[in-house]
Amino acid sequence: MIAIEMEGLTKDFGALRAVNDLDIVIEESAIFSLLGPNGAGKTTTVRMLTGLLRPTIGGAKVLGLDISENLQEIRSRVGHLTETPALYERLTVRQNLDFFANLYKVPKTEIKSRIEEIVDLFELPEKLDEPAGSLSKGMKQKIAIARAMFHKPELIFLDEPTASLSPESAKVVREQIIKLAKKEKRTFFICTHNLFEAERLSTRVGIINHGILIAQGSPAELREMRKDETVTIIRFATWESRIKEFFEDMNIEIFEYNQDKKYVSVFIKDIEKQTPSIINSLTKNNFQLVEVKHEFPSLERIYLELIELEGVPRGENNMEES
Amino acid sequence: MDWGRVKTLARKDLREMFKSKYIVSAVIGMPILFAILIPLSTLYPLVVIDSSDFEGDEELPVSITNLLSRIVPNWDDVGTKGQILIMTAYLMYIIVLLIPIILPAVTASETIIGEKERKTMEALLVSPLSETELVTGKILSSFIPSIAGTAFAALIYGIITNILIYPYIDTILFLDTLPIVFLFIIAPLLSILSVELMILISTRVTSVRDAYQLGSLVVLPLVMLIVGVVVAYIFISVYALIAAVAILLILCAIFFKIATNIFDRERAIVKLV
Repeated sequence: MIAIEMEGLTKDFGALRAVNDLDIVIEESAIFSLLGPNGAGKTTTVRMLTGLLRPTIGGAKVLGLDISENLQEIRSRVGHLTETPALYERLTVRQNLDFFANLYKVPKTEIKSRIEEIVDLFELPEKLDEPAGSLSKGMKQKIAIARAMFHKPELIFLDEPTASLSPESAKVVREQIIKLAKKEKRTFFICTHNLFEAERLSTRVGIINHGILIAQGSPAELREMRKDETVTIIRFATWESRIKEFFEDMNIEIFEYNQDKKYVSVFIKDIEKQTPSIINSLTKNNFQLVEVKHEFPSLERIYLELIELEGVPRGENNMEES
Repeated sequence: MDWGRVKTLARKDLREMFKSKYIVSAVIGMPILFAILIPLSTLYPLVVIDSSDFEGDEELPVSITNLLSRIVPNWDDVGTKGQILIMTAYLMYIIVLLIPIILPAVTASETIIGEKERKTMEALLVSPLSETELVTGKILSSFIPSIAGTAFAALIYGIITNILIYPYIDTILFLDTLPIVFLFIIAPLLSILSVELMILISTRVTSVRDAYQLGSLVVLPLVMLIVGVVVAYIFISVYALIAAVAILLILCAIFFKIATNIFDRERAIVKLV
């Protein structure tokens, strides 16, 4: 079943085209990450899918429902973590959860057990009866994530879910996202800057810049698209000045070398065919090899290259280092 | 409209509101201040003046005499001091009606601009609440403390006033239709209108403090409305009062529509988030 289907989804704010002709299909129980710099159009896309903004051109179906016709039903069947935790700080954690549970019509008899379930799921300590304002930033974020999932929505939009979490808490959240997608067939749509997280979590990734989708696919598919950028690292027992000359003579492009660490990284055009012959030549030329390994391009590298190619005039590119 | 969701929103707002010391002190303090200070500062000085000092050639305007003689059965027997006390008590009662205008300016600032300031509005907008439910919930949560405060103030004002002036007039005031119409019809309508105007203001300000300042301006046209309603009743006729109430109702409906349009998601996400 398809959870989200966008067809030419476009949004203009006056003369500015914030989102341009998005065609994305997300299957049920997928974890889709939308990557892009600030101002790329991620939040605008989510706001259109949740009915906060009307598309200028094109449209989308969410859980099989048209976003221009069935907004109230869509809103009651999806969960949404906004950029900020958006908790009512004077109310206790329990009152916050209770409020949203009632808005989403969670049966009263289930609310108590659901709270206990959520406490277990996200390892929330027993701070349910304390004002939300007294909690740490990370704890608030965990509660906001719990709130977005409280009514057991089929589709959950998460905007920077682990942005303010400690590494341990972020791990817990990631594990739960994977678990909920696999076991309960929930679909996740995540807007993130965290490429490390997107790579480990996502079944599909979309890269957006200037409102235009510049790449999409699974992390493996994206790597495959850029396999010619795979770097081969060759580490030597001792560093010799003729190493560089050797590769230059063989017409192999050197990407990087480090005399202290005794390695050279090179671009090999046809890895499968050329690598064995290069190793043979190196051995014949009495180079002592310690290690030969291929480093496939990371999602981060693919992302940065794509974004660099497009330019980032509208927003600041502040991707997290993995 | 789902009233369950409306009540949920209003209950949440009220819970939040009553955890704010500022709001609690305004909701409780303002009615007490109005109810105690007004009779003590206006009626008490008149009470202590000797009855003979009120005697003279000048008489009260006929329109006031006609109205109050309908309300107070022994109007002609209470003497000039008694008549002036009755007239002042009724005129000052109008000031109690400022409470349903002023209090919503405080409570609505908290519940509407507060959501904007604390960045909780988007979470509400993505919930299944409809625009009408959202506006109704916000009106309800601002309206309840305001009407409770007004009723409380009216009660205290009535008790204190009657204690002060009963010995001079030998009758109990405020058991007639005028205060009841004001308390149960005019005050709630003014209160709703005040909240709706605060919703309009919410698109123009970014903090609760700004809203308080701008909200105080909202009070002015509404005070003029009160004066208009009072004048309609005292000087013209009951039909004029009914017409004034009808105008208030129409204004409430118009501003409700405008407020609902403000909570149209696209507009709200741009102006309120």
